[in-house]
Amino acid sequence: MKLYEYIIRRLILMVFVLFGVSAIVFYLCRGFPTGFAPWAAYIHPKMTAQQIAEVIKVHGFDQPLHIQYFYWLQDIFRGEWGFTGTWAQNLPANRVFFDRFPYTVELSVAATILTIAIGLPLGVISALRSNKLPDHISRIIALTGYSTPSYWFGFILQLVFFYYFSLWGLPHLPSSGAVTSRLIGTIPKVTGLAILDGLLASNIEYAWDAFLHLILPSFTLAFISLGFLARIVRASMLEVLRQDYITMARSKGLKERIVIYRHALKNALIPAVTMTGIFFAGLLGGAMISEYVFARPGVGQAAVLAVFQGDSNFLLVYSLVLATIIVITNLIVDIVYVFLDPRIKY
Amino acid sequence: MSKKESPILEVKDLRVDFHTYRGEVKALNGVDLKLYKREVLSLVGESGCGKSVTALTIINLLPENASVLGGEILFKGENLLKKSKEEMRVLRAKEFASVFQDPMTFLNPVLTMETQLEEVFMLDTEALKQAVIKQKSLRRDLGYSDFLSLKGEYGSPSTSNVEASKAEIKKMAKDLCIDVLRVVKLPDPERILKQYPFELSGGMRQRCMIAMALARRPSVFIADEITTALDVTIQAQILHLMRELRDTIDASTIMITHDLAVAAEIADRIAVMYGGNVVEVASTREIFRTPLHPYTKMLMRAIPTVTRSVERLEAIPGTVPDLIDPPPGCRFQPRCPSAMKKCSTETPELKEIVENHEVACYLY
Amino acid sequence: MKSISVGVRRGELAAKLADLKYTLYLLRKNPLVVAGSLMALFFIILSLVADQIINPDLAHTFDYTRSYKWNNPLINWGPGVAIYHGPETLPLGTDGYGRDLFKMIMLAIPLDMYIALIITVGSATFGILLGAIAGYVGGKFDEVVLRITDIFFAFPGLVLALVFAAMFGRTITNLMIAVLLVWWPPYVRLMRGQVLSEKEKAYVEALRALGAGPFRILFRHILPNSIYPILVQMTLDYGGVILTFSALMFLGFSPSPALPELGNLASDGYFHIFEAPWLLFFPGLTIVIIALAFNLVGDGLRDVLDPRLRR
Repeated sequence: MKLYEYIIRRLILMVFVLFGVSAIVFYLCRGFPTGFAPWAAYIHPKMTAQQIAEVIKVHGFDQPLHIQYFYWLQDIFRGEWGFTGTWAQNLPANRVFFDRFPYTVELSVAATILTIAIGLPLGVISALRSNKLPDHISRIIALTGYSTPSYWFGFILQLVFFYYFSLWGLPHLPSSGAVTSRLIGTIPKVTGLAILDGLLASNIEYAWDAFLHLILPSFTLAFISLGFLARIVRASMLEVLRQDYITMARSKGLKERIVIYRHALKNALIPAVTMTGIFFAGLLGGAMISEYVFARPGVGQAAVLAVFQGDSNFLLVYSLVLATIIVITNLIVDIVYVFLDPRIKY
Repeated sequence: MSKKESPILEVKDLRVDFHTYRGEVKALNGVDLKLYKREVLSLVGESGCGKSVTALTIINLLPENASVLGGEILFKGENLLKKSKEEMRVLRAKEFASVFQDPMTFLNPVLTMETQLEEVFMLDTEALKQAVIKQKSLRRDLGYSDFLSLKGEYGSPSTSNVEASKAEIKKMAKDLCIDVLRVVKLPDPERILKQYPFELSGGMRQRCMIAMALARRPSVFIADEITTALDVTIQAQILHLMRELRDTIDASTIMITHDLAVAAEIADRIAVMYGGNVVEVASTREIFRTPLHPYTKMLMRAIPTVTRSVERLEAIPGTVPDLIDPPPGCRFQPRCPSAMKKCSTETPELKEIVENHEVACYLY
Repeated sequence: MKSISVGVRRGELAAKLADLKYTLYLLRKNPLVVAGSLMALFFIILSLVADQIINPDLAHTFDYTRSYKWNNPLINWGPGVAIYHGPETLPLGTDGYGRDLFKMIMLAIPLDMYIALIITVGSATFGILLGAIAGYVGGKFDEVVLRITDIFFAFPGLVLALVFAAMFGRTITNLMIAVLLVWWPPYVRLMRGQVLSEKEKAYVEALRALGAGPFRILFRHILPNSIYPILVQMTLDYGGVILTFSALMFLGFSPSPALPELGNLASDGYFHIFEAPWLLFFPGLTIVIIALAFNLVGDGLRDVLDPRLRR
């Protein structure tokens, strides 16, 4: 089928998926009032019981669940995502989300870069020296990353690079936040991406500070996915190296370096490159724990807090935005695959 | 092909084993072969008899689980088995060109034909530099045939202190690509260069592979079952091309095939292999007229001919030997109608029985 | 019908045995897999005998005078740490309730391994059933299953598990369900793919001609043929399940703060990271080792079973 037909079909599917995701989150959050009052964002402690009942009625919290869902759908089409609860000072949910989102994006981008920078060479070495020592070592590194709880790893990094380094008198990395507190607000917010804003405002101190704050959390995140990437690259390279055209390239008398870089790598990297997009989308979601551990003011941390307070409005924004990104990324990756591999035709 | 000449390539008593899960596969059991200048030698045999393994051993492209256990491969006097990996690589680039069976899998699918062909020319920038200089002196475009005749004129004092720029070298490579594609009778070379392998037909791809071989101006041309994957009409065209090229290029060819008809078409001499040994070598006429080895005789009888009417096809009884646990002595002996006691104890050596006709059999 | 089917299976069995021997040969050659298998075996045996070695009641002895204390001279954790001057040697220090951390970890390992086993088998079973039926039956049912699976795949990270855990309260069963929700979708895809490709094969047509019903075909013939990739997936997921489950505990969803469970023990360590770093370090390290063991095995298995890489 034609390309645009395919895209449209996938987009329709995406809408359906989003409905499903939102319905499930909605149902889980509001269907079981286990001590979480969905109307918590709309009241403040000074209200009387009667005023609270008023609020409940006005916002429809007393209606059956599917009616509430319908109201919610109506609201979001008008751009109103509701208010988030006490942990976010009762601000509109979408504002809280988009204020924090750039920090998460920054983190995910950095983690993706690290994943590729470390995972790719690891996988290639593994394949070129397969079943020998370098292969075993890189596989252990890769699989350890895959086996490590991110909360644990994040804390160990904090412990060593922040606490012990300062104990031992070494220059240490900051342990939390995105930017040192005294620097917050010292530059205008253009993109929300701390490092970028710092550079745009020509404030090197700010940019550098933001960079330092980014190192540990992004490494924590990347450690887990680089193992995955290394694995894929290794498998792909090994398969390519067994192909007949590699024998042909060698029989031409080409230098081994050329055989590997020009003939093998290009073929082998096709699946790996396409995975990068999926990694990025996955890291956006996986940033949750990393942000929580490093107290980074991104949407992941907010989501964790929202879960603890049963804040359905924020969780709905979070889930829907990220689900959209995941689905669209998958779609883009599928299309890019077509362009990269000249054999697949549409 | 005077017998008084010494062969350009000589394989003596080559033994190669493969290590596999199920045991040691004794693929080559003492292969003897002689290749003379400018001849086409066809290596014929059933699948699994070791033809391709012999070729791969010559150019040092065996897979990792293979070991050469003994023997010599003499090329221009030197033993190739004693050479380093890098030396063999250079030999593959300059002297030995191979074309393989299935052009679809042997061409890189994500690189254009231009990249894959040009890189062969770019292996020898010195030669290209020479070609650029020669072109300037000729004051016309250099073609592949000129390039061919430049071979061997290395380092002549007139060229060593003249420079050619990188761009000129690259352009020469590209022009040669186009011309060599014309040599293999491909129409519209410029367009083909820009295409990917999957966009070409089987016959065209095979011609491109041959072009890649020609680009190296080899002394030895190894063609491993190059017509097997093609249908009969294209097969005929490729063989025709090979026959034409044989006169233009100054190379010896080893034509590996399981199809006696192909061998008959193009070979000067035929070497019959069975179970890891060469069992008979003779000129094409001799082999077909008077086959000496029992296996060869049965092969000839098994081919259906148009002229004679036959009731049943004569198949050779039995199956190919299991190379992990081969029969002792002559490997054909279990299926041989004339087998003697001696055949199961020692492997017969290749001996010249009649002039230019060698057989490995105790009958002689 | 029965005798033919038996004949088919006898032939299959012989082929499968040869296949298995080859697989084991390849596995033995890979030192990482061997190491991983030994480690995994060690943990399995440990889980089975742990409560014989260590008295489970120790989990309920609380001695607050010994909270967060360390006395193993091998490691110095820094100035914020309180040293225990009592008679016992505590190889890994104490937790917030004064319990010997080493013994608590020993008790926690069986719990985690057992829970992970249930979750893995449960999600695999559920996914396989759904995928098999969807693949075989096709049509509308297949579409619906695919869409539902898509929805679950689109959930970012652990959100679903977290929300479920938060809403349904803190029992172990509910937490297991929460984790299961995250881990079942891959099996649907896996099984469905297998069924779709096997469905077209000749032997299925033959079986249908012989009158075999769909369930028989699916579960006595197709499933055994597809079992390898599923096993690989389960082994690899096992580590991930432990990670997810302990993460839930870590974030605070544990039914009881004194529960000897690796994530739970680490959770307390989080709050006291500078005065008792061992409380976070050692339970986490245990998780890493267990997950690594199973991942090594699963990874090696996947390599060996990849049809393209087999000789």
